[in-house]
Amino acid sequence: MQTQEVGKSPKKRKVGHKKGSKTKKKLKMLQGNGEEKVRINQKMKKLFRKRVRDYNSDDDDDSAPVIEDVSGQLNDKKEVSDGHSSDEERENHGDVGEENEVSEDDEIVIQPGITKFTEGCKAFRMAFKKITKTSVSDDVLGPVLSAHKKLVVEKLAEEDVKRKVKGEAKKEKHLVGEKGHAKPANFLDLYEKFLIGVATKGDFQFPMCIAGLSVVKLFNAVNKSQNAQKGLNPSRSNDAKAIRKQRKEAFFSELGNTSQFTRAPAKIAASTGPADGEGPAWAPLRDNYMLTNSMLKDWDKMPDTRVADDFGMPADSSSDDD
Amino acid sequence: MARFRNKKRKDFVKPVVKKQQPSVDHITGDKIPKSFVFSRGKMPGSLRQLQMDLRKLMLPYTALKLKEKKRNNLKDYLNVAGPMGVTHFLILSKTETAPYLRVARTPQGPTLTFKVHEYSLAVDIAQSQLRPRCPQDLFKNAPLIVLSGFGTGEQHLKLTTIMFQNIFPAIDINTVKLSSCQRIVLLNYNKETKLIDFRHYSIRLQPVGVSRRIRKFVQNHQVPDLRRLQDVSDFVTKAGYGSESEMDDEAATVSLPSDLGRVNRASTKSAVKLQEIGPRMTLQLIKIEEGLCSGGVIFSEYGNGDEKSKQDAREENNEEEEEEEMEET
Repeated sequence: MQTQEVGKSPKKRKVGHKKGSKTKKKLKMLQGNGEEKVRINQKMKKLFRKRVRDYNSDDDDDSAPVIEDVSGQLNDKKEVSDGHSSDEERENHGDVGEENEVSEDDEIVIQPGITKFTEGCKAFRMAFKKITKTSVSDDVLGPVLSAHKKLVVEKLAEEDVKRKVKGEAKKEKHLVGEKGHAKPANFLDLYEKFLIGVATKGDFQFPMCIAGLSVVKLFNAVNKSQNAQKGLNPSRSNDAKAIRKQRKEAFFSELGNTSQFTRAPAKIAASTGPADGEGPAWAPLRDNYMLTNSMLKDWDKMPDTRVADDFGMPADSSSDDD
Repeated sequence: MARFRNKKRKDFVKPVVKKQQPSVDHITGDKIPKSFVFSRGKMPGSLRQLQMDLRKLMLPYTALKLKEKKRNNLKDYLNVAGPMGVTHFLILSKTETAPYLRVARTPQGPTLTFKVHEYSLAVDIAQSQLRPRCPQDLFKNAPLIVLSGFGTGEQHLKLTTIMFQNIFPAIDINTVKLSSCQRIVLLNYNKETKLIDFRHYSIRLQPVGVSRRIRKFVQNHQVPDLRRLQDVSDFVTKAGYGSESEMDDEAATVSLPSDLGRVNRASTKSAVKLQEIGPRMTLQLIKIEEGLCSGGVIFSEYGNGDEKSKQDAREENNEEEEEEEMEET
């Protein structure tokens, strides 16, 4: 086939590149590459080149046509599709066009050392003419094998679906993870204001509840108790007594409204109460107590703080201590 | 050889001076509660952040950089907790429906299980604010805790209050320094919805009756802009805009026993301002267990039938065990 083609006169050349590409098709068939024709990367090119070289090893070929061979693949396909059906599938138009051009100068090259059909064969000529006459509608993508096209479309669709599913799954996972996560509004809404009020001033809606403790109340209580002991010298026994009394009074007056408190904390207080006198858990009795204590001057307040108890404790719970 | 190596290594080890946190308050002699905040199971990023926020909230008596591994189980934490004097666990977990927060006392329990209906991270809250505030020593002292609305007399609520009151060190009113009261944790129980609002605020004190300009001047030490004023006295006498509108009501003012910083003097009254620092949570008490994440169910939000059946199951188990024991003997 090839030999014949080459042997044809320049007249044939006018018929177009198709012929040239036809020859390439033959080549390609021989190569029998099942690879996807779309991807021709450097590696593939090399491989093809090598194969072609091997194939044509008998001939002392120059490299140019060989290269063309490789790039001409698409053309071959096109040719085939021409023959097969008129429904054109297009892949990458640009590539095809390029290839066409390339293959045009491809046929200029006449490979030496090939036997020619001196007279030519009419049947072939007719056949080719017929083929070349068939008009190919210029689609965007250029002619592609229909089967292949379907495959590509299918693959693309599949990929799309896959990606979509993946994305959705990710989104869902993220949503599940973010469940309950709420971004606060930029402004203080009424409820937040109410909560801040509760924290600062205590709860006025339920004045009898534990909410008696709030920042303001605590500060005031601290102020009262600490102010009361200012003028007194705790080292004198008289003053110490007075301090104790004052503290208790101040404390209860401030937190007195929490006397509704529950029984459970009372239990805690009761359990700590007896520790007043002898408790080994009591800080001053520990070995390192004096060494680590930075507030030595307050040593005499120890028993008292027991009675007045801590802030978190209810008022009435400690009242039974004295 | 090995022995030499060991010796050498010993030489290299720099003696780490550990600043041991006191386990007992020096002044009151009370045991200082300490806590671990960790999570069980795989957590999404936002919840991990929430965990970090909770740790910061629990500062200073918590393990801020507690490393968890997948294979750590509750017993591991419990084993560490004993020697370190950790008294409370805050355990975050997550199901498909919602995240959960368990607050447990170690080593015996009880365990309160809260469903986290909604939460916002500290970052979110800072983002929502125009001027987020974070003074340096904000986390140096334990927060105060304010419990509000829990006084409905129900047993499980009482338990909740006790639990949360004991989670932070107690304050001794006679000796506490108000400058160490920087933060406050508010738990507000909503009777109707049965939800607990968990908020975390920073406390700020401002002198009352001083115009904003002067306050800023004292605070910032910057030369004020007097271009538009006719006289220097205008700076003092002219009231700045906006300052009066945000003037607070009587109830939010306190007088201090001692000076607090440059601005808040003992002689003047100060206003208490709270600014949220997050995290923010809306909790629902779901379950109270006797033990540490185990044991009998004292309270269950979702009906008593469930509880009963569980108890029955437990009894059955016990019986079975007893039988087994009998058989063994």
